[in-house]
Amino acid sequence: MDNAITTMDWIKHALEYLGGAQDEPPPGFRVALGNWWFWAIWWGAMALAIYVFSGQSSKFIYIDF
Amino acid sequence: MKISKRTFILTLAGLLLPLIALDRAVGIAARNSVPRREMARARNSTGASVVALGNSVIGVGFVESSFDEGMGSGRQGGAINLAMGGSSAVEQLLMLRYALRQGMRPRAVIFGFFDFNLTHPLEFATRDLIGNRAMLYYTEPEYARTLYHLSLHDRAEFEIMRHFELFADRGLVWERVERFRRALSQEGMPAEKANSMGRAIDFAMLEYPSVPEFVAECGRASHNDLIPSVREIALQASAAGSKVYFVEMPMPPAHVQSFYDQPAWAGYRTHLRDMLGNLGATYIDASHWMPDESSFADPLHLSWEGSQQFSRRLGKFYADGSAAPPYSEPGVAGAAASEREAPLPLR
Repeated sequence: MDNAITTMDWIKHALEYLGGAQDEPPPGFRVALGNWWFWAIWWGAMALAIYVFSGQSSKFIYIDF
Repeated sequence: MKISKRTFILTLAGLLLPLIALDRAVGIAARNSVPRREMARARNSTGASVVALGNSVIGVGFVESSFDEGMGSGRQGGAINLAMGGSSAVEQLLMLRYALRQGMRPRAVIFGFFDFNLTHPLEFATRDLIGNRAMLYYTEPEYARTLYHLSLHDRAEFEIMRHFELFADRGLVWERVERFRRALSQEGMPAEKANSMGRAIDFAMLEYPSVPEFVAECGRASHNDLIPSVREIALQASAAGSKVYFVEMPMPPAHVQSFYDQPAWAGYRTHLRDMLGNLGATYIDASHWMPDESSFADPLHLSWEGSQQFSRRLGKFYADGSAAPPYSEPGVAGAAASEREAPLPLR
C-alpha cells in the first residue's frame, strides 16, 4: 500500500515537472531543465496532440474532404 | 531552478521546427484535397460544354457520363461536375471563377440546390471553415471575404490562419482522426449505414426539424434576395457566355411530401423563379423527378443508380430544353409545374 502511494506520488511529481508546475524533478528522473532538446520534443509532441485532437468539437456531417 | 536564456531559445527553436515540418506535411497532404482535385480537373477540362456546380446534392447526383449520354454527346467536350460536398455558394462561385480563368467557356452552367441554399445568408465563423470550405483560405480570399460575414474576432483569426497550411487545411487531419474514432466506435456494434460522404443518418440533421419551422422559413425566405454569391454565379456565368440553369434537386419522397408539397414552398419557388428569371437564368424544378425512395442513399442524396437515372434525364432535358426552353415562365409551381417540367420518361 505504501509502495503504491509512493509510486503515485512519484508519477504525480513527474507529471507536474513535465507540465511545468514544479521546477525540480522527482528522484531518479534524469531530465534536467537545461536539456533543451528533450523539452523541445516534449512540448512539440504536446502541441501535435492538441492540434490533431482539437477537431473533436467540430460537428462532422460531411467527411469527404 | 532557472534556465538560461540560451536554453529557452534553443527549446523554442526545437519546438518550432517540428511545427514547421507539420505545416509542410499538411500542405503536401492537402495537394490532393477535394477542392484542389476539382481545380486540377477544371484545368484539364477546359473544353467542357456543361459545368455542374453546387453542394453534395448535385456533387453526388450529377454523373457526367450519364448526363452526356442523355444529352447525346460524347465525353469529349461533355459535362464536368465541379460540385463539392459541404460547400457553400461562395466556394462554388470561386470554383466557377477558377474554371473560367483557365479558359473554360461552357455553354451551360447547371447549379443544383435544395431548400434555402439560394437565399440563406452566409454567416460563418472560422470554426466552420474546414473541409471543402478551406478553399476560402487560399482561393481569392480577399474577394471571397466580401461575400460572407465573419465577426471582427473571426476576421482577425482568419487573417492569421490563412497564411499557415497547418490551420487552413486542418480539416484534413481532423477528418482522419474522426474516421478513426468512428471505426473504433463501430467495434462490436451493428454496422451504421454510411456512404462516401459520411453517415447516412447525419444528413437528416441538414433537414428542417419540423414542417411548421420549414413553412415559417418559407415565409421569411420569400422576402429575401438571392445571396450575393448565387447572384454572382448567375451573372458571371452569363457574362462568360453560358446559359445558366438552377435545378431544384430531386429529394426523397418523405422530404418532398413533408416540405416541398407545402403551399408555402410553392410561394417561395415562385419568388426564386422571378429573381432568377430577372438574371436571365432558367429554373428547373426537378424535385419530384425521382419519386422512388430506393433512388436515394440517405435523407438528401441520390444513390449511384438514382444519380445515373437523374443525370440522363437532366441531360436529355438540357438537350431538348436548350433549343427551346419551355420552363422559365414565372408563377408556376408545385406538382403541376413538376409534371410540366417532366416530359421525359424515367429510364
